[in-house]
Amino acid sequence: MGMPVSSSPSPLLELRGLSKRFGTVQALDGFGLDVQPGEFVTVVGPSGCGKSTLFNIVAGLDEPDDGGILRFKGRGCHAKELLGQVSFMPQRDLLLPWRNVVDNAILANEIEGASRREARAKALAMLPEFGLAGFETQYPHQLSGGMRQRVALMRTFLFERELMLLDEPFGALDALTRSMMQRWLLDVWQRHRRTILFITHDVDEAIFLGDRVVVMTARPGAVKLMRAVNLPRPRAPDLLTSPEFTAIKREVLDAIEEEAMKSFISGTAAPP
Amino acid sequence: MNATAAVRGAVGAVLILALWETLARGLALPAYTLPAVSQILAAVAEHRSVLQAAALVTGFEALTGYVIGALAGIGVATLLILARPLRAGALPLLLAINSVPVVAWSPLVLLWFGMGVASKIVMVALAVGFTVFLSALAGFDRVDRRSVDLMRSFGAGRFGIFWRLRLPAALPLIAAGLRVATVRSLIVAIVTEMLGAYGGLGWIIYQSVTLIDFVQVWAAILVASMLSLAFFGLVGALERRLIFWR
Ligand SMILES: Nc1ncnc2c1ncn2[C@@H]1O[C@H](COP(=O)(O)OP(=O)(O)OP(=O)(O)O)[C@@H](O)[C@H]1O
Ligand SMILES: [Mg+2]
Repeated sequence: MGMPVSSSPSPLLELRGLSKRFGTVQALDGFGLDVQPGEFVTVVGPSGCGKSTLFNIVAGLDEPDDGGILRFKGRGCHAKELLGQVSFMPQRDLLLPWRNVVDNAILANEIEGASRREARAKALAMLPEFGLAGFETQYPHQLSGGMRQRVALMRTFLFERELMLLDEPFGALDALTRSMMQRWLLDVWQRHRRTILFITHDVDEAIFLGDRVVVMTARPGAVKLMRAVNLPRPRAPDLLTSPEFTAIKREVLDAIEEEAMKSFISGTAAPP
Repeated sequence: MNATAAVRGAVGAVLILALWETLARGLALPAYTLPAVSQILAAVAEHRSVLQAAALVTGFEALTGYVIGALAGIGVATLLILARPLRAGALPLLLAINSVPVVAWSPLVLLWFGMGVASKIVMVALAVGFTVFLSALAGFDRVDRRSVDLMRSFGAGRFGIFWRLRLPAALPLIAAGLRVATVRSLIVAIVTEMLGAYGGLGWIIYQSVTLIDFVQVWAAILVASMLSLAFFGLVGALERRLIFWR
C-alpha cells in the first residue's frame, strides 16, 4: 500500500481487504481504500486487474468474498444494501434505444418512483449544462458517441447520490473530445459537489482529474500506489506540461509499468 | 424505397397473373387443373355474398384466435420470466406440446369444442400462442446483462426491470412473431374448417371439391389470400410505426 493520504474522521466509503474470486480467477485480493466526502479519486491499472469488479461490488451488484470489510457512510454493510444507494455509470453508455435523450436521462429517477413530469422538467433544465440543449427529443441512434456519453453522465448525475462510480466514461472518445469532456466534468463536479470514483486507462486523465490517484496491481487487483495530486483547481490544460504534473506522472507511470510488465509476462508465460 | 418496392411487387403480380391467364386459355386447361384468372374473378363476383359471409366467419375466427393466442403467448412468457422457478418446470412441457404440429390436435379440438367457430378459435389460439410465446421468451431473454445490472444499481426490482427493459427490448422479436402469426392464423382457421365446420372459407373449399366446382375452390383461395395479405400488411405497418428505433 502507498502512504495514507488523508485521515479525516469519517470517510464516505471504506474498503478493507476486499477479495473476489470467479472460479479459478482471483480478480481482487485484499483491496483497501478510503474515500472522503467530496473527493475525486481516480483508479488506474492494467486491463483485467479487477477495476470493474471493484465497481460492481461498490455498486451492490456483486458480493465480495468473505473476510473483506465494506463500510458506507460509517456503517458496515453487505454489497447488496448499496443497490440504489450509489450512482453507477458502467463502461458502456447502455442507453435505451426506445427512449429519447430526456427519458434516458431520467431512467433512474423513474425507477426511484419520482414523478415523470418533474423529473423531465429537471432534466430539461440540465440539458445546456451537459451540452445537449435542443437534443431532448433525439434518440440514441441519432447521437454521436460523445453525446451519448454525456446523456449517460447526465443520467448518473440526475440520480442524486453522494457517491458516483464512473467506469472509463471517456474511454471510447477521441483525444480532442476527451480533453474537452474532462474539463467539463471537473466543472460539473465542482458545481454539484459529489464524491467521485473514476476508472481510467489514461494516466494523464487520472492525474488531471483526481485529488488522488490509485494505481492497482496486476490481477489479483490490490492497491499498488496511492498518490495525492496536490495541484490547484480549477485545472487548465496547460497543467499537463507543468513540472509538478510531470513529476507525479513519472511516479505513477513507473508503478503502472511494473504492473503491466507483470501481467504481460504472466499472460504470455502461463495461464492465470 | 418503400414505394418502389410496392410498385415492383404490383408489377410482378400483374405479370404473373397475365402469364397465368395466357397459359390457362392458350392451353385450354380444364378447370380442375388451372382455371383462368378471369374465370376465378368472375366466380368471385358471382358468389360475392356467399364468399363475403364465409370470409367474415373465417376472419372472425382467425382474428379472435389471434388476439387470444397473442395475449396468452405474451402472458405465459411474462410469467415464466417473472417467476423463474416456474420456468424450469413448465418450459419442457410447453416445448413438448409445441413439437407436435398444431393441426394434429384438430380432431381432439373438434371433439371437445364442436364443429362451430369455438374449435377454430381454439386451434388458431394454439398456433398463434406458441409462435408468439417463443418469440416473446427469446426477446425477454435477449437483453444485455449489463443493462439489467445498470437498472439493478438504480434500485430496480424484477418487475421494474421487466417493464422498463425486458418488455421494450423484446418488442422487435414479439412483433416479428406477431407478423408471422397473422398468416398462420388464417391457414389454421381454414384447415380446421376443412376438417369440419358449418361455414367459412375452408368449408366452402371443402364443399366445392366434393361438388367438383374447382373454379369456386380457386375463388375461395383467392379471397383467403387477400384476407391473409391484408392482415399481414396491417400488422407489418403497425410494427414499423411502433418499433421506430430499429
Ligand atoms: N462475472 C465474472 N465471471 C468470471 N470472471 C469474471 C467475471 N467478472 C470479471 N471476471 C474476471 O475477473 C478479472 C477482472 O475483470 P474486470 O472486469 O474487473 O477487469 P478490469 O480491470 O475492469 O478490466 P478492463 O480494464 O479491461 O475493463 C478478469 O480476468 C475477468 O475475466
Ligand atoms: Mg473494466
